[in-house]
Amino acid sequence: MSAKTKIYIPNETTSNSVGSNDIYRVISSLKGVDEVEIIRNGSWGAFWLEPFIEVEKDKNRKGACYKGVDLSHCKTIDDFMIDFQNREPFDISTIDFIKKQMRIVFSRIGKGDPLDIAFYQSNKGFNSLRNVLNLDQQEVIDKIKKSGLTGRGGAAFPTGIKMQTVHDQNNSIKYLACNADEGDGGTFSDRLIMESDPFSLIEGMTIAAYAVGATKGFIYLRSEYPLAKSFLSKAIDIANKNNFLGNNILSSDFNFEIDLRIGAGSYVCGEETAMMESIEGRRGLVRSKPPLPAINGLFDRPTLINNVVTLATIPPLLNGSFSEFSEIGSGKSIGTMPFQLCGNILQSGLVETGFDISIGEMIKTFGKETKSGKPVHAIQIGGPLGLYLSSNMMSTKLTIESLQSIKGSVGHGGIVIFDDSVDMSEQAKFSMEFCAKESCGKCTPCRIGSIRGMEIIDRLQTNKSSKQDIDLLHDLCETMEATSLCAMGGMTPNPIYSIINHFPGELTKE
Amino acid sequence: MGKVMTNLYEIIEPYVEIEGGLMPALHAIQEEEGYISKDAISELAKAFNYSNAEVLDVLTYYDDFTLEPLGRNIVRICRAEACQSLKSKELTDDLTSHFDLSLDETAADSKITLKEVFCLGNCALGPSVMINETVIGEADKSKVIKFLNEIEE
Repeated sequence: MSAKTKIYIPNETTSNSVGSNDIYRVISSLKGVDEVEIIRNGSWGAFWLEPFIEVEKDKNRKGACYKGVDLSHCKTIDDFMIDFQNREPFDISTIDFIKKQMRIVFSRIGKGDPLDIAFYQSNKGFNSLRNVLNLDQQEVIDKIKKSGLTGRGGAAFPTGIKMQTVHDQNNSIKYLACNADEGDGGTFSDRLIMESDPFSLIEGMTIAAYAVGATKGFIYLRSEYPLAKSFLSKAIDIANKNNFLGNNILSSDFNFEIDLRIGAGSYVCGEETAMMESIEGRRGLVRSKPPLPAINGLFDRPTLINNVVTLATIPPLLNGSFSEFSEIGSGKSIGTMPFQLCGNILQSGLVETGFDISIGEMIKTFGKETKSGKPVHAIQIGGPLGLYLSSNMMSTKLTIESLQSIKGSVGHGGIVIFDDSVDMSEQAKFSMEFCAKESCGKCTPCRIGSIRGMEIIDRLQTNKSSKQDIDLLHDLCETMEATSLCAMGGMTPNPIYSIINHFPGELTKE
Repeated sequence: MGKVMTNLYEIIEPYVEIEGGLMPALHAIQEEEGYISKDAISELAKAFNYSNAEVLDVLTYYDDFTLEPLGRNIVRICRAEACQSLKSKELTDDLTSHFDLSLDETAADSKITLKEVFCLGNCALGPSVMINETVIGEADKSKVIKFLNEIEE
């Protein structure tokens, strides 16, 4: 007897947000549903196609977009199959959006049930952990150093060096803290890992903990991600039951546990020192550095802090993809980066590729055009603290170096597209407003400067003779930049400078 | 919503002995009771060996913890950049005028509380609105109203 036909229906935030759960409810109640196997897979990250429903028959897997589809005419599973065939299904792995990416870290997403540990293992999962447990800690760190991996959370610090620092501390207790407080507007790569491939994060954390000698890990997850919370807590349970976490992992003498902690709606808690304050049960106020968390971190112990994608990059690095990864790019911009192409763009989604691509190529190859069909006017790169580029800057490369040279940053890889209906002075004002709302309040320039900034921009929007106000805004931005402890106040001026520099005349309304 | 005579200590007990247990304890109370009452503050202070003022200091920092009960449904409209590019401002205006509520306001019949949020990670299909724990992508006024009617049925 041939294998059952499989129907893949994603269970992932974005897919569910446009009806995937509803489609699941309809299909799973059709007559004859027992004849097929329904798999709630993750998303492939080609979000504009969601909900993307796939059918696999005789190893031939094809899918179709079911956005806004009314399935009420289907009474039986055969009716659904006829409906499906009429939608000209195709193999998603063959479309340019997927084919032209370099999926190393996101190699598994969309392909199977994120909580199916057998699926994870049959796709290289936990091979790296098995290998690593036979290696010396230093060998693991050396490999990560050699790979050129830098932190994908925003600061792009060399991951291996951070690990070395924690490793070298002589302390009986060390912690690992995974920063899953993905708060930048226009980003979702951490969420996608946690929802669609959570074991890769667990494996990455376990390897990193082994390398630095940590026995307890925290995941600090933002509360805005309830589905990720559900996937992570289940994945942690399953990993514990299967001895990939807990005591004597895979019969070694290494013990490691993971505790999932939930944030409470504060952007600044994504800053590592504020995150530690929050985990410890206090207001999320930024700490001054030094001491570095690697030396004196959570509960005053040496703590390795990494972002979700950074940790999820570790298993493939130690698992046959090392040269593939480290031979991509140059300088600081080594390996692949999961860019998140979103906002007003037709083909929105997760694009894992090398850094050495211009914003123009990114849009042309992957995003195509704006969703509204109007011309692109502005592109914000790297979250709320990142630059706005104008439409005549399409040749700007997305490397760490290229963006640094124009006072920007790749950040966490968010790329937000705006069409020509955008009001850049409103965007500038929003940068200040966001800072005012989310500032932890510790540094005066950030706490109060942001409010003064909003007021100045308000005046610029109404007052025609505004030379003095422009000077004042420059002055304020310089002060915030120079005298704030963390990036919240320190980098809020970046989008504003970029609007002044690249969108002449658009800050002041006539 | 919590039962009238919920034993507050029972709610927070699992977190009292763990490292940094105050945040998960606050989450547990917020979830069970719908807000953090004065009694809960005293109970937390006692359990974690803080003063009432210290507990208040922590909880008032975070948007998720509230000192007053909210509506039965929390409607969060995303105002971050990707949703801005897809007219979240217009959506916010539509919803505030439809419900006749401003942001952070609860309806008189307690059906909803309207809030803003900065990013739900649904940036590829904005504008986004989260109702309780469900995210609605490519949201508009009618989708939001339809969803609210369905869950209130």
